[in-house]
Amino acid sequence: MSDAPGGGGGAYSFSLTTFSPSGKLVQIEHALAAVAGGDTSLGIKATNGVVLATDKKAPSLLLDTSALEKVAPICPNIGFVYSGMGPDFRVLVAKARKIAQAYWKVYGEYPPTKVLVQEVAGVMQKATQSGGVRPYGISLLIAGWDAHRGQSLYQVDPSGSYWAWKASAIGKNTVNGKTFLEKRYNDDLSLEDAIHTALLTLKEGFEGQMTENTIEIGIVTCPTADQLVEKPGERLPPTFRKLTEAEVRDYLAL
Amino acid sequence: MALFAPPPMYADPTMAADKQHAFNPYSENGGSILAIAGADFTVIAGDTRQSEGYSIQTRYARKVWQLTDRCVIATNGFAADGNNFVKRIKQRLEWYEHAHQKQMSIKAIARLTQTMLYGNRFFPYFAYVILGGIDEDGTGAVYSFDPIGSYEREACRAAGAAQSLIQPFLDNQIYFRNQTPAPGAEPFVPGRLPLSTVLGLVIDSFTSATEREIAVGDGLELYVVMKKGRTTDDLVGSDNLIKNMQVQELGALGEGGSERTFLVSLPLKRD
Amino acid sequence: MGSPMEYNGGSVVAMVGKDCVAIATDLRLGQQSIGVAYNFDKVVAVNDKLYYGLPGLATDVYSLREHLRFRVNMYRMKEEREITPKTFTHLVSSSLYEKRFGPWFIEPVVAGLPQPTELDPHPKPFISTMDTIGCITTPKDFAVAGTAADKLYGAAEGLWEPDLEPDDLFETISQTLLNAVDRDCLSGWGAIVHVITQDKVVTRRLRSRMD
Repeated sequence: MSDAPGGGGGAYSFSLTTFSPSGKLVQIEHALAAVAGGDTSLGIKATNGVVLATDKKAPSLLLDTSALEKVAPICPNIGFVYSGMGPDFRVLVAKARKIAQAYWKVYGEYPPTKVLVQEVAGVMQKATQSGGVRPYGISLLIAGWDAHRGQSLYQVDPSGSYWAWKASAIGKNTVNGKTFLEKRYNDDLSLEDAIHTALLTLKEGFEGQMTENTIEIGIVTCPTADQLVEKPGERLPPTFRKLTEAEVRDYLAL
Repeated sequence: MALFAPPPMYADPTMAADKQHAFNPYSENGGSILAIAGADFTVIAGDTRQSEGYSIQTRYARKVWQLTDRCVIATNGFAADGNNFVKRIKQRLEWYEHAHQKQMSIKAIARLTQTMLYGNRFFPYFAYVILGGIDEDGTGAVYSFDPIGSYEREACRAAGAAQSLIQPFLDNQIYFRNQTPAPGAEPFVPGRLPLSTVLGLVIDSFTSATEREIAVGDGLELYVVMKKGRTTDDLVGSDNLIKNMQVQELGALGEGGSERTFLVSLPLKRD
Repeated sequence: MGSPMEYNGGSVVAMVGKDCVAIATDLRLGQQSIGVAYNFDKVVAVNDKLYYGLPGLATDVYSLREHLRFRVNMYRMKEEREITPKTFTHLVSSSLYEKRFGPWFIEPVVAGLPQPTELDPHPKPFISTMDTIGCITTPKDFAVAGTAADKLYGAAEGLWEPDLEPDDLFETISQTLLNAVDRDCLSGWGAIVHVITQDKVVTRRLRSRMD
């Protein structure tokens, strides 16, 4: 039984996502269009971490941008960023956090990035097949670290498809962004380099002034061996964290 | 109207007035005792904690007593019964000495112990008794009893709260259970271990029991009865063997010049 | 009927050594004082580095073993890796706690060697045990459970020492188990010992007194 509103089974419940005669799911294409119209987000995997960055332009000067959150920590080792519809993102973030905590409850540790990606992709896929619901109008970039696979960067689309990337961009200007990343990316990029590349990529086609108030950055830092030694009464430091406004300002100044 | 009056309380056996709290004459005061016989000595030991349930009544209550120059008794279970039993047996031993002009042998004390315990067949002393000492041949002897007088001579015995912890260890180390001598080596014979080994085993047994059994701890009193003429160097010279260990000789109860008894005391964990 | 924990009898013990762990079980299956079988192995392998034992009510031994087999197989496929001893312990624990108010009558014992990784090239040997509702303890020395638990505590406390090599660990855990179950009416009837090292698992069947 689906937990989406009106998503239950039954004879009179029909999926809104139905195949067109040519074999397309038009609802999903519409969802992708919503993503393509959304603010640009991008992610780059480095040798010692991952960076997520997004444009958070405010529609009005009067908006308090410090309260806007587009990069969301899910659990200590994983973070999300999105392009598309904000409300849909917040619903998915809430679900993902719940999934991560449920995993912790069973295994005593947080999920590896790939496992969480698969779970979230499953949630998004369900919205393309269940009755009475519409697909999520967002694409996600998911960055995380785990002991098994190290740092990784994934993209999940409204269809529930997912890919592991070295670098990717979603939302507005995706084509330009990806071309730029293809030129700038190499396999021995450090996290510091990756953060600068992310800022440069974001700057391409950025409308208005890029400041600590108009962008948001999240990073994954690969832990060293001694950072993984649990001290009694202490938690391990998180491997995913958001950069503070001050940190973003410093990176922009360089 | 008396027809509708409630019946008097005493008429209904289920009524509270008819119920009485039965007096329970027994308690269980925790602790553990242990005895091991050697070829020419015996070690009899007990911890000094006395408890009831989760409460410690005292950290120093004796459970092991010297009876004669060649016999030591240890009791475990209900402390009041154990103490009273020791008092009564001491009295019987004194009468015996007056009548016979000699101390009773451990074999005879064992039989007396059985008679006295069985004498209370229908209101038993709740006490597990162990006797340790030197028999008439000069060999180490251990006798163990159940509360109504069943008894047996053994090479070793543990009783009390930590019996289930200590006895399997002793089976292995004293009776060599589940061990096979190396090909061509001497067969194992229980009751022939040197004193230093036995002391080590007793102390290990009690520190282990203290670690896992809340009713055991605080202090250890360990009596060593030695055969007449046996060297005491392996005990008296070993003060520094274990930290905080104290050795003292107990004076002769009889004419002297026969078996010698030593009291070794050391602290156990108090938590 | 008495306690379900004592209905079938049986005991398990696990010990830590130097770069090795051992886990051992007796083989008795009984119905109270009646002996029924002497081939009831209570220890199961998750993989060649991780074993666990399930002493307690025999029917629950089967059910929980199947439940855990299911969960571990699903884990293996989803995560594309082997489960670590620590994670497995949490899995067992949460499985037990699911039945908080109608528990499995089992006190599991887990023993394993974590796989060395780049970040942790010398992982410590791991043992753990739980009560019937999954409260975990991870001792540094040994873990015991079953009807001979108190005897195992006494024997292990007296025989175990730190940093035992595999052969000495085998001797220590075998003597601990045999002498403990010989004093327990509900355990015994033979035993099986597994010694796990990074390069192999040595499994030996022990003969013991059959009374």
